[in-house]
Amino acid sequence: MIVLDKNGDKLNLMPLNVGPSHPATHGCLRFLAAMDGETIVASVEEIGYLHRGFEKMVERGTWQQVVPYTDRLNYCSAIMNNIAYCRAVENMFGVEITERCKVLRVIVNELSRINDHFVCVAAAFQDLGGTTPFMYAFNPREEIMCIWEKLTGARLTNSYARIGGLYRDSYDGFENDVLAALGSVEKALKDLHACLDRNRIFLDRTVGIGKISAERAISYGWTGPCLRASGVASDLRKDEPYYDYETYDWEVVVGTQGDCNDRLQVRLAEIEESVKIVRQALKRLTPGPVDIVDPRIRVPAHKLAYQDMEGLIGRFKSVYEGIRVPEGEYYCGSECANGELGFTIVSDGSGHPYRIKVRPPCLTQFAAFHELVEGGQLADSMAVLSGLNIIAGELDR
Amino acid sequence: MTAEEIFSCLEEKFGAKRETLDKWSVTAVLSATYLRNAVEFLRDGDAAKFEMLVDIAGIDYLTYPNHEGPRFAVAYALKSISNPGLRIRLKVLVGEDNLKVPTISDLYANANWYEREVYDQFGIVFDGHPDLRRLLNHVEFVGHPLRKDYPAQKRQWLSTNDYLLPELEKRLQDLGYRVIQRSKEVETNDNEFLEGSIKE
Repeated sequence: MIVLDKNGDKLNLMPLNVGPSHPATHGCLRFLAAMDGETIVASVEEIGYLHRGFEKMVERGTWQQVVPYTDRLNYCSAIMNNIAYCRAVENMFGVEITERCKVLRVIVNELSRINDHFVCVAAAFQDLGGTTPFMYAFNPREEIMCIWEKLTGARLTNSYARIGGLYRDSYDGFENDVLAALGSVEKALKDLHACLDRNRIFLDRTVGIGKISAERAISYGWTGPCLRASGVASDLRKDEPYYDYETYDWEVVVGTQGDCNDRLQVRLAEIEESVKIVRQALKRLTPGPVDIVDPRIRVPAHKLAYQDMEGLIGRFKSVYEGIRVPEGEYYCGSECANGELGFTIVSDGSGHPYRIKVRPPCLTQFAAFHELVEGGQLADSMAVLSGLNIIAGELDR
Repeated sequence: MTAEEIFSCLEEKFGAKRETLDKWSVTAVLSATYLRNAVEFLRDGDAAKFEMLVDIAGIDYLTYPNHEGPRFAVAYALKSISNPGLRIRLKVLVGEDNLKVPTISDLYANANWYEREVYDQFGIVFDGHPDLRRLLNHVEFVGHPLRKDYPAQKRQWLSTNDYLLPELEKRLQDLGYRVIQRSKEVETNDNEFLEGSIKE
């Protein structure tokens, strides 16, 4: 297409379609860019290629049956989504989960965050053509995945959290496995920093690329590491603390430039903070019950169903009718790896959710994509995309 | 200022009512006429600065037990960055006879996509929105799937892609360019559609 620019000069632009099936769009994002040579003049995005109707599906099941669906939101850190959803429903019930459950949730939350950030940084470097850091980051990730296998029976879609507790308690030797994994995480961080911090090619590709100001990022509703990279110290774990996050000794990491490099460095620094939190949480892990004892919220243990009349009834009703969440409307957001994952929940007091609206952190970040890439080169758009860590599972629902 | 105090300001200025269904936080029910003023007041006013629009959710009350009043609602969740932890929700009720809510996409940048999503899923029209298209569902999709009367099992035959070229031209114009010769692919061609697909 031929256009006139502001000075009246004639430009011949080529519309270039990128995605949805492109290695660097990680599966299913698409954007159409108007190219002037190598430079992106304008860009529009399209999403929805992974839309599977999460919000319609959950209306058909019981409240507990939503948990496996939440795995598929951000599948790089599935347990965090489980916990965010369960926390929202528990808040509606107004119940306090047990002390051990809280500490366990903090541990698996932070391990998931480490996992997610590793995937993001590794994939970002891979997209820029470097394969070594990918291996460095995936080694400790594999160790955490092995912990997931033992703890939940699954590697990717764990469904570990339950409303009012957890699927099950940790296994024997869990603490030692976590400590060993943390050791590898720290070693991998050293290796990654050695690869990235002074790597001329990496810095040329990421410093000053995809810049966004704090005001603009806030207006776009950015949350999580991407917002913090623009210098806004906003973290729900500190601002609206839950699970005693405020009592752990850790810092909110902020960047200064708001560019692609900052978004990746903030993630690496957050891994360090998560390691700190997990180490402290392991010390707080004392024996005790994991589930709350209330058959109206958490299904009674298997053992009770075979021995006890009440337990049997509790299990039966919980499975067939579902738990009854108090009637009302509620919004609850939790700090997940990518930012604030929020659930707007409408309950009519029956055993099925009336409406659950997910607020995915990716959506707001991808909505700003055209502002980040316009004026840059086409190759930069790949660096920007992987720096934002767009997970299509939660973007499209 | 606490959320309660901000709510009393909204009550005084814009005649907001407290949503009784929200027992856990503060939700103000507003009439659509005052929505933009209320959002501007919350964003820029002296009371408290709600710099961030967290979410816009559509709700269909068609099968909600003992529900009276308009069928749809659009719920806005706002949060403050300068006062961490301060949140408020706004709600606008929308009747089936007049599915219109004023847009706030010029006040918050992310409202653009959120409003497109609500339009896509519920068919609520945002007055003044610059580019009200479907967001998640396919361009050929018919109906609004999150409405309670849309059958979850229903299947549709969808064949073609979203062209995006008209949108790209629009974006270029927003950036100050003037298109003098259009790309030849901009007009859709009958061959692009498979047999049986629903063409607009």
